[in-house]
Amino acid sequence: MLLGITIISFIIIQLSPGDFLAEIRLNPIVSQQTVDQMRANFGLDQPLHIQYLKWLWNAMRLDFGYSFAFQVPVIWLIGSRLMNSVILNLVSFAVAWAIAIPLGIYTARRQYTAADNSLSFAAYVGISTPTFFSGLFLLYWAFKTGWFPIGGMTSIDYEFLTPMGKFLDVAHHMVLPVLVLGVFGVAGLMRQMRANLLEVLRHDYVRTARSKGLSERVVVNRHAVRNAINPLITIFGFSLGGLLGGSAILENVLGWPGIGKLLVDATIQKDLYVVMASLVIGSVTLVVGNLIADILLVVSDPRIRYD
Amino acid sequence: MGKVVSRFLVMVIAASLLITAPAIAQPKFKLPDVANPMVVSAPEIGRSGGTFVVTSISDPRTFNFLVAQETSSTVPLGYMFEALVEVNRESTEVEASLAESWTVSRDGRTWLFKLRQGVQWFDGKPVTADDVVFTLDAAFTQGVQSSLPDILTIAGKKIGYRKIDTYTVEFKTDEPFGPFLRSIGFAVLPKHKLEGALKTGAAEFNRSWGVNTNPRDLVGNGPFVMHSYVPGQRILFTRNTKYWRVDKNGNRLPYLTRLVVEIVPNQDAGRLKFLAKETDSYGARPREYAELRGQQQAGNFTIFDGPATFSTEFLVFNQNPAGFREPAAARKLAWFQNVKFRQAVSHAIDRDAIVRQVYAGRATAQFGPISPANKFFYNANTRKYPYDLARAEALLREAGFTKGADGVLRDSAGTIVEFTMSTNSGNQDREAIGNLVRQDLTKLGMRVTFAPEAFNTLVGKLTGTFQWEAIIIGLTGGLEPHTSQNIWKTTGSLHMWWPRQERPQTDWEAEVDRLFDQAATTIDQNRRKQLYNRYQEIIAENSPLIYFTATLTQPAFRNTLANFSPSPLAFFDIETIYYKAAYR
Repeated sequence: MLLGITIISFIIIQLSPGDFLAEIRLNPIVSQQTVDQMRANFGLDQPLHIQYLKWLWNAMRLDFGYSFAFQVPVIWLIGSRLMNSVILNLVSFAVAWAIAIPLGIYTARRQYTAADNSLSFAAYVGISTPTFFSGLFLLYWAFKTGWFPIGGMTSIDYEFLTPMGKFLDVAHHMVLPVLVLGVFGVAGLMRQMRANLLEVLRHDYVRTARSKGLSERVVVNRHAVRNAINPLITIFGFSLGGLLGGSAILENVLGWPGIGKLLVDATIQKDLYVVMASLVIGSVTLVVGNLIADILLVVSDPRIRYD
Repeated sequence: MGKVVSRFLVMVIAASLLITAPAIAQPKFKLPDVANPMVVSAPEIGRSGGTFVVTSISDPRTFNFLVAQETSSTVPLGYMFEALVEVNRESTEVEASLAESWTVSRDGRTWLFKLRQGVQWFDGKPVTADDVVFTLDAAFTQGVQSSLPDILTIAGKKIGYRKIDTYTVEFKTDEPFGPFLRSIGFAVLPKHKLEGALKTGAAEFNRSWGVNTNPRDLVGNGPFVMHSYVPGQRILFTRNTKYWRVDKNGNRLPYLTRLVVEIVPNQDAGRLKFLAKETDSYGARPREYAELRGQQQAGNFTIFDGPATFSTEFLVFNQNPAGFREPAAARKLAWFQNVKFRQAVSHAIDRDAIVRQVYAGRATAQFGPISPANKFFYNANTRKYPYDLARAEALLREAGFTKGADGVLRDSAGTIVEFTMSTNSGNQDREAIGNLVRQDLTKLGMRVTFAPEAFNTLVGKLTGTFQWEAIIIGLTGGLEPHTSQNIWKTTGSLHMWWPRQERPQTDWEAEVDRLFDQAATTIDQNRRKQLYNRYQEIIAENSPLIYFTATLTQPAFRNTLANFSPSPLAFFDIETIYYKAAYR
């Protein structure tokens, strides 16, 4: 499947017009000879299937080639920013789930009360706000209040801070993007949890548990939630896959130095090897995420067993 | 007796073969390491200390100056590397930098440069002629991705260069090369750090000093040393304590202790950071000028009424038969090749509306290829095209077009004049201009479809397939007209309306070719100016590119820093910026 993904990606990239050298061609100083030389250097003058096979051969040995734009190994380029994206997405992920699950349970138990309605309203607002909009909005809010830095991940003096200082600095910068990804992203999860739990609470065995005399809290938390959480585990697996690349738009708006902006720029410029490498990484994490989800499902639901 | 006379004669002749420029003044100051430091004049004498934070919209792509093509790389590298000569930002004259002085032979073919002694690389080694020769060797190596060979190849011949002694380099050209001084200002790289890479091969050299290099290995000779680079975030520089320039009082430069290039995701984020006092400089867009003027007090900054840019924006019609293969299309080719058609279009464009609506008044109408910012070469006496619909319609009638009773313009054969105009989508200014131009041309009775498309597609059409009709696009420019020869000579690949002609297709294009060739081989700058004046007249007269406006710049700087002053090129020299407060 990974092979298929790489072939399709390669073809699609080639289908768009132009190549990496488009920008250089419009530079009056650069002669046609120099442009041709660059084409040869980058191997862009060779037939497509040769280019693909060469890439594949190297990729299998974990050599993802050099970026056209930066002339550095693609691995280094992606690696220099990967951690930043991972940290951001992990924290947002944790925040989102930590808020969404309890809130989902809370609103399911108090269905149609004022609390439920207002939280649901907030959820709808959250779902319908695009990330770039909430990002921009928070940016202007940060500017007006002066409480948070205007984007970025670290401040200028970062290098000279103590380890604790560094941790706090990054945390301070992380508030805005986590608010967008985590809090605004809570909405969908919360509604999902609420719906699942309501559905489960209608079942007979819940009524049985209640009539046994168990407290409501035990009924809900010990029995109902465990069943309601199954679909969310699948979502969890998918979300893990998105951890590495998921926040490209937000990174662009808030200047978070992750791989999102790198990949978008590479795609526009047709920096071939950077795009291919990132697609491979994305596919791998997706597959791994699903694997983890499958394992967790087996753990949580004894009815599921693979023979 | 004869021997003495003839030796004397030889000396006289030898002396007359040398024209000295510039005169070497007695060194005013001495530094412990540099006998004759370069003196930089600035409005004020500064004090040591402080940090200056500038912004960049994208990451640098390489730290190898020879291979770098884009400003996101060349600007940070410019803080670390110097050249033989540089352009004074106020006078726009060429002045000595790494070179202390130079001479040119009377026939204009031989140049002798004497290097400033005592200048050190960051690691303490001396800067010598070996480094200059090495840089050129690397540039001319087959496979090395540098555009320097394009600049230093004169009339098809590579420039000749050799080391005379440790501090002297000689350059030789077959023909006298007019733009020589403005072409020899390339950054000198250290031989001892990079010769290994060059020996390995061109591909290895292209990759050397990439952005993944340890900053300690980036050995330069400029005012600042790179301390660290955090991808996607910032580049940190610290002062070069061995810098070889002084201020007017003999104090060693630079004043600043730290220089930060903060990488921001886009222009708007850059503006917010500037207003939030996280950064110290912002190059405002024309429409922001009025609003930012009002915020100067609160934001503690000053925004300047800057000079025009050297860039140009224009409308170009395709005159290349290769783009009009079908017989139906051949009629369009005839329109675009007709000079009166183009002149009419130029008269019909309301440039004042563009100035007001697109640039909020911060631009002036332009009709020729050189921006008024280029004080030395700009020719103000070229043909003008004021907004005049009557004149436009008269010109069209002379060319055989008629505007029917239905208001539609037709050519002499009765074909309706309609064509597609394009530009690169996403460029808001060009899209706005395109809409205004489309409306203007509709008044003439033309049917214009305006369809912006992706940048890559446009470039493919302009340089590859030639299947286009009209495009709105722009080009950057510089002080030296010769560097744009790729656009103006008929053999050039950027001769947009009909590139790479085998033979000049019109008399005026042939004349421009001659003017460029002549100006390239004339040393006398005033004579060159006359030649380029004529070229500007011809281009304005024949309008292969119909220019819109020259846009003004409006840089803004934090008031805590000083030594900014308006000038045609940049608003400051990085080595004389200083911090007015004791510290931030």
